[in-house]
Amino acid sequence: MADVQLLVLGGGPGGYAAAFRAADLGLNVLIVEGRDTLGGVCLNEGCIPSKALLHVAKIIREAKQAEHYGVVFQPPKIDIKKLINSKDQIVGNLTGGLGGLASRRKVKVVHEKGVFIGPNTLQAGNDVFTFEHAIIAVGSRTVALANWPTHKRIWDSTRALEMPEVPENLAIVGAGIIGLEMATIYSALGSKVTLVELSKDLLPMVDKEAVKILRQQLSNFGCEFLLGTSVDQVTPSDTGVSLAFSDGHSRDYDVVISSVGRRSNADGIDCDAAGIHRNQQDIITIDDQCRTSVPNIFAIGDVTGMPMLAHRATHQGKVAAEVICGHKVQMNTSLIPSVAYTDPELAWIGLNLEEAKEQGYQPKTTSFPWLASGRNLASGGHDGLTKIVYCTESHRILGGTIIGMNAGELLAELTLAIEMCATLEDLALVVHAHPTLSETLAFAAERALGTLTDL
Amino acid sequence: MKTLIPNTTPSKRAQAFAGGDVESTGTSQSNPASNAAKYWQVDHSAYGEVTQEPLSKIALLAAENLLVASQTIPTVTHGDKANVDQLEAFRRSLKDEMLSLNVKLSSLAFFVKALAKALKQFPRFNSSLTPDFSSLVLKSYVHIGIAVDTDYGLVVPVIRNADKKGLVEIANEIIELSTAAREKKLKSSHFGGASITISSLGGISGTHFTPIVNPPEVAILGITKTVVEPVWNGEVFLPESKLPLDLTYDHRVINGAEAAKFLKYFCSLLDEPKRLMV
Repeated sequence: MADVQLLVLGGGPGGYAAAFRAADLGLNVLIVEGRDTLGGVCLNEGCIPSKALLHVAKIIREAKQAEHYGVVFQPPKIDIKKLINSKDQIVGNLTGGLGGLASRRKVKVVHEKGVFIGPNTLQAGNDVFTFEHAIIAVGSRTVALANWPTHKRIWDSTRALEMPEVPENLAIVGAGIIGLEMATIYSALGSKVTLVELSKDLLPMVDKEAVKILRQQLSNFGCEFLLGTSVDQVTPSDTGVSLAFSDGHSRDYDVVISSVGRRSNADGIDCDAAGIHRNQQDIITIDDQCRTSVPNIFAIGDVTGMPMLAHRATHQGKVAAEVICGHKVQMNTSLIPSVAYTDPELAWIGLNLEEAKEQGYQPKTTSFPWLASGRNLASGGHDGLTKIVYCTESHRILGGTIIGMNAGELLAELTLAIEMCATLEDLALVVHAHPTLSETLAFAAERALGTLTDL
Repeated sequence: MKTLIPNTTPSKRAQAFAGGDVESTGTSQSNPASNAAKYWQVDHSAYGEVTQEPLSKIALLAAENLLVASQTIPTVTHGDKANVDQLEAFRRSLKDEMLSLNVKLSSLAFFVKALAKALKQFPRFNSSLTPDFSSLVLKSYVHIGIAVDTDYGLVVPVIRNADKKGLVEIANEIIELSTAAREKKLKSSHFGGASITISSLGGISGTHFTPIVNPPEVAILGITKTVVEPVWNGEVFLPESKLPLDLTYDHRVINGAEAAKFLKYFCSLLDEPKRLMV
């Protein structure tokens, strides 16, 4: 008989959700996690700590903006040590809470790095565990650019969130969601930020009008954009890093953050020993029930490919746990919301106009500018936009992009609308409270229907 | 992977995948009509040759009404018979006179007139429930719907203010409406607002049937073919022309005793047509 009914390899947001769900359904569950705490990248060095720092960035900006209302604060004195401590305390509370949730469910946690040695066996440190089923949830890690040296002045996103210092001149190489969030944090704390991006367009998959608003706002915060630019040479020294760019010029920075993407951790668990199929990028192939090529082994989250987001992993984790418990369920949606927690926030869901055309819809967009939103202006908001992609034949909502304060929260309504097959009429006929930012969704729908009276 | 833009809600997708044998996470009600479809999912051609034709628009519209009526109205059908000897004798006596005026005085005209009078006497039969079923709307007007069978389906044009019209006027209007119906010349103003409907199969055949109430009305009167029956008068059997009547009513509004009294009164008007004048 196996040691455990279910072994979950990796205790991040996908892994612990899977483990807890399976335990709630009556399985005897073991989590094998290399870190000292549960919560994975998300809780320990990603989503949550970055949000804590972004919150501080927001306070600094709002305090400065208060000048416009005749309320003048002294320039902030920033005690980095205290700031980092408070962030670590939030993370500590949350990870500690997870430990409690695990023990309440009698889920055992072994803090060792796990490696498969067969389709029913895994080695964790000096111990070998046998299992009936396994769920792989080992996540992803930041990638380093090829030929870049390792140096204390070259940070990855994990190091950047540890915040060893606030550099005067900071280059961020890779202007994806993580790079843009870092720019939001460090520019607020006083760094002069240069964002370097290989692609000619910033966030090419996101609505251009919305991206333009984000770029303008970050430029107002003193961020400089070098798009369509690669770094040809990196020369670090004790005092800084010199970057030579593809356009021929070079510049010196105090620190460089590399945020050029993430890669699957499936290369470190010896998939071959268990016979688990993965592709050249170490992405484990799964079916709609999260089952790998080995019938008793499932995989969820970043190791199963894009989009590498915690909320996708959590949903997959629950599906995998329930399938293992004999439920007839599958991942019934591909609709995964994306949020960049920048200032302003940028959030998007579903199809953009081009994708909708490619999929055979007759799509159009409708939008409501936030400069016409009373709540936005009264709350110190700047330019923003709520844009909806819809089908002109059925009026179904196909996608949307929101940029402005709390865009990530507002996106939930659009996601629900798409999942519930809502039309423009549905959005327009739902009574939204006034004055709120959520009104902009109904306004955008009304605009398409010709019933808008607020523009 | 799944398509990005779904065509059903998340809980329905989960239910569909589970084949209905897993507890659903949502509380959304399943549609009994769509669940019922499985009973019609039969390969009829497996049993012999078949052809297929679409239902007419009128038939599809009627189907919706009928389904709602049969699923939501608790009905009872009450039967009775009227003696129409006097009525038919009276009609025959007027025949030549009417023909010279180019009027076809049908028995249906008498039924409409008598029904209008009965509705004035029994106002609950001339009412409708409010949409929340908490109140009764009583109508001061009397409009009688006449079910007309046509090539393209069943239609129900309405004779307005039948209580205020004479027999000749009603007889002429019946002819006009049924002709217009067969020629597809009815206008929207010819429909709606009926107090009650008459469905007469008297010209064809039958001894009784159970008509379906046309919502929001509360009753419908079905009529089948007059038959001569022997009736015991205490000493001998005498032949009488009997008109079978089937009154289906909404039991939420009308109870059985009321229905019996209503039909009894209606029969008395036909038994002695001169009562129609009083």
